[in-house]
Amino acid sequence: MPTRRPAAALALAAGLAVIAGGTAGLLLTRHPTQAMRPAAAGVAVLPAPTGPIVAPPQSAAPKPVAAPVSLTIPLIGVRTQLITLGLTPTGELQVPSSTAVAGWYTGSPRPGAIGSAIIVGHIDSYSRPGVFYRLIKLTRGDRIYVKRTDGTLVEFRVTSVQTYLKNRFPTEDVYGPVPDAELRLITCGGAFDTATGHYLSNIVVYATEVS
Amino acid sequence: MKYWRITRRLLMLAAASALLLGIPAAATAYASSATTGTGWIRLAHLSPNTPPVDVYLYAFGDSNAMIVLHHVAYGTVSPYESVQAGDYSVAMRGAGASATSQPVLSTSVTIAAGHAYTVAGLGPESGLRLQVLEDKLTAAPGQAEVRVIQASLKQQVVTVTLGSTVLASDLKFASVSDYQPVSPGTQSVTVSSSGGTANSSVTLAAGTVHTLVVLDGASGLEVVNLEDASGSGTPPAGGVSTGFGGTAPHGPGSPVPWLVVIGAGSLLALTGGLKLRRGRQLNAGI
Repeated sequence: MPTRRPAAALALAAGLAVIAGGTAGLLLTRHPTQAMRPAAAGVAVLPAPTGPIVAPPQSAAPKPVAAPVSLTIPLIGVRTQLITLGLTPTGELQVPSSTAVAGWYTGSPRPGAIGSAIIVGHIDSYSRPGVFYRLIKLTRGDRIYVKRTDGTLVEFRVTSVQTYLKNRFPTEDVYGPVPDAELRLITCGGAFDTATGHYLSNIVVYATEVS
Repeated sequence: MKYWRITRRLLMLAAASALLLGIPAAATAYASSATTGTGWIRLAHLSPNTPPVDVYLYAFGDSNAMIVLHHVAYGTVSPYESVQAGDYSVAMRGAGASATSQPVLSTSVTIAAGHAYTVAGLGPESGLRLQVLEDKLTAAPGQAEVRVIQASLKQQVVTVTLGSTVLASDLKFASVSDYQPVSPGTQSVTVSSSGGTANSSVTLAAGTVHTLVVLDGASGLEVVNLEDASGSGTPPAGGVSTGFGGTAPHGPGSPVPWLVVIGAGSLLALTGGLKLRRGRQLNAGI
């Protein structure tokens, strides 16, 4: 009569189960996944926000403007609060900890003041679209609204949408000084490098306050 | 049969060359123009004894004005307008004059991408001229930049100081000083002339560029502080990391972790199997 060896039998069974699981995993991950791309139609277009729209700043003694609180881009269905962002210890822009909200860099001019106000948001999280997922869909002339703490609105008009490789990022064009009230919306784009876990490019939307 | 083989070779050749040509095309798509191809212009009336004017901005060769500013009086400076880089002309007509009438004055201006200009009516009415000034955008790090436009006819020579810094010494009517870097903060501006002095206070933030305009006021001299440009106090370095790849296309995942799992499973199964077998052999031997 054979001696019972429950440990050995268990090891054999567990081993076979692990092999089956591993094989299934291997087969299931052999197929590349397609890019999630913004749908051409079916984007919920939001109404433009309501409120007193202020005129662009004058050259002579421009009035101080209130801090920004929210951002609306009706055409691509973006409506988000604006958190505040600073710089990392290495001098790069901080990014919002949540992929669902955008942030304003407090070292840049306030939206509607003279200079380029800088707003940053994520294109996606590990699994789903982020707040600036559809930013690339914007084109010249599209409108962007920023609401401020005093309830006033600033209306911007898109002048250009550019994609730059991060290692050729035109810092001066994006962050540099300008003589009128402008806005820069920045997110990621281009190819995704799975080795580093980062996109290789940045998408920058340039906009100017509507007069 | 032979024709088909030749055709196939030609097709392969075409595909290969398309691939080769396609690579540089894709690369240049990323190296897109760094600038957006626009510059800025603003218009000013700084001639004390010239009545209000209408100011027209035309793209070169276009008789329809892009911008018309009506009834611009002495001391008025418009906000900047962003326009495509290129050649433009600026014309001044008396306020209310027909848009098709002969302008009192006109000048051409070439706007370069990323540059800003002020086109100002300067001088006395008898010698009025339209002068194109190039405006600075960038201040030295941690500094502000200031220049002076002398537009007072009553006091034809002025000296302008900011705190203890002399911005312009003996600056003549209708002339413009160079920009110079100054410490940021709120400081007093003193305009002195043979006819007396005028004081005011200005706030200049780091990273901003200003033009101080000396004007004839209702009583004595006035100083108008124009903000020419503003940037981020500390510009960030480089781009941003704003994505985790959840919506990006992914290639097939690495097979290595799964192969390790299969290997470990095999080892486990083999060990278990061997022990079972040895148990049977031992039993058989007794």
